[in-house]
Amino acid sequence: MKMKNHDSINEGFVDRMSLNFRIQHMVLFLSLIILALTGLALYFHGSWLGNLLIKIEGGLESRGQIHRVSAIVLIFLSLYHILHILFTEHGHSEFMKIIPGVHDFRDSIQDILYSLSLTNLPAETEKYGYREKFQYWGVAGGAFVMTISGFALWFKDASMSIFPKWLIDTFFVLHGRAGLLIFFLLFLWHIYDMHLSPPNFPMDWSWLNGKISLEKLKKTHYKEYQRITGEK
Amino acid sequence: MKNKFHLIIAISILSVFPLSSIAGATIAIQKCMLCHGKPGFKKVEETGKVKELYVNLSTIEKSVHKKKTCTDCHADVVEIPHKQIPQKVKCIRCHFKGNPDGAPQSDKYLEYQESIHGRAVKSGNRKAPICQDCHGNHDSKHTKDVLSKVHKSNVAKTCGGCHIDIYAQYITSIHGKALLLEHRIEAPNCTDCHGEHKILEHTDPKSMVNPVNIVKTCSHCHNSVEIVGKYGIETSQVSTYEHSFHGIAVKFGSKTVANCASCHGKHNIAPSEDPSSPVNIKNIPSTCGQPNCHPGANINYAKGKMHVNPKSKQSGIIYYVAFFFKYLTLLTIIALIAHIILDLNRRSKEWREQKKKI
Repeated sequence: MKMKNHDSINEGFVDRMSLNFRIQHMVLFLSLIILALTGLALYFHGSWLGNLLIKIEGGLESRGQIHRVSAIVLIFLSLYHILHILFTEHGHSEFMKIIPGVHDFRDSIQDILYSLSLTNLPAETEKYGYREKFQYWGVAGGAFVMTISGFALWFKDASMSIFPKWLIDTFFVLHGRAGLLIFFLLFLWHIYDMHLSPPNFPMDWSWLNGKISLEKLKKTHYKEYQRITGEK
Repeated sequence: MKNKFHLIIAISILSVFPLSSIAGATIAIQKCMLCHGKPGFKKVEETGKVKELYVNLSTIEKSVHKKKTCTDCHADVVEIPHKQIPQKVKCIRCHFKGNPDGAPQSDKYLEYQESIHGRAVKSGNRKAPICQDCHGNHDSKHTKDVLSKVHKSNVAKTCGGCHIDIYAQYITSIHGKALLLEHRIEAPNCTDCHGEHKILEHTDPKSMVNPVNIVKTCSHCHNSVEIVGKYGIETSQVSTYEHSFHGIAVKFGSKTVANCASCHGKHNIAPSEDPSSPVNIKNIPSTCGQPNCHPGANINYAKGKMHVNPKSKQSGIIYYVAFFFKYLTLLTIIALIAHIILDLNRRSKEWREQKKKI
């Protein structure tokens, strides 16, 4: 099986992120951080925070330019990501693993019960558990909504010639509010999960070395651990 | 200085009428009125222009300066008959802060000198207005006097004496009609938007009607429930504008983005129901489609509210999208914080159990 190559054990470590994914991830978070900083600057333009951000970003005009350049980076990344899924075996097989199923819902309930100490068994997941899936699809869905609404606002004269004003206003409100939601999701959850939570502090190194230790894999993705080691 | 002038005048008068027992000042008026009191007293200038020189004493008696004598203002007249044409009266002889003559204590002439009118006069423009052109000369009255040229209801007409085209636009505008026809004293006249003594050209960043200040100027009334609220005019227009792309850009110094006047017009402002208003639904495409704004704007620009408040139910889908995201974001934050707390709690429990085992 070809899959074996990705999952093979090497000195107690298992491959978690290919170099391609690590680069995609870096481009993604760099563009998202810049998009968030420039976007929140506009969203909170009435407060000291927004004013400070706009000042740092070189004024309102250059804030917009930085925002749009980062958006182009994100859009190209998204296109690359889709092509990668469609036309490479690696991309395709990884994508198939991240498609959500009913068991993900069950796993999340199990983990809630576990954190409430109502059960002693945490959820046992494959390579991509409900957390990874939720975050992946959250970013994917968010990027889609933000790209569509962002384009409508960017090319306002063209979009206004096609759509009624109320729809553009809706896009404006949607773009801001959805952006804020995505910001909270990523910053509160992903930062906690991958950086601040005690076992990962200061960070989960997978995003740099692409590996995860067997020991950690056993704790966090038990089904994948079982599949790789053949342990029962 | 002034006392010296008085002295000179008194001495000169007394030398002319040494036997007179009446106060010198009154004699001066009577003496002046010998010529200027004759109806029809006038002079034909070299240009052919007829200059009226008749002074109706009752006009002065009804003015704020009723207790003053001719030479209090026409101070360069030291002998009668005067040999030279008296100069234009300089009001700042008395009207400065700290004056001992009982004139209003004000430094407004300093503001005037910086104004477009003051600078024009200084640069030699003889048509530019000096104090008495707006305040009146022999008939100058207190600002609160309805007959004063600078009374709220007369200001537009006074400015219109020179700015005739703008006056014609103003009197047909909603502001002009409200003030002049309906006598709604809160409605703005020229000076409410342009300033009084310190009127500056609209291109000056300090001008009240410069793009960087116009929102503040209009907001003075349109953001006040006490002023416009009682006429049923929405005050939310200001805050909705401030949160729009236009408003934010203006706040951060853009001079090209639309401000109040870009869409609503200037002197000829009319309510949106009026077919002549630039914000009338039929005119919105051409208003939004101004060359430097959104060229090619079509009727789509008129489909929806202009001043959108996402927090108001009247905004329809925009309200519901904002509402949905507000609560979704709140729920998400609560859920994530709860998740973090529960996760930490469980981990510390595990850690304690592990410690016990060891």
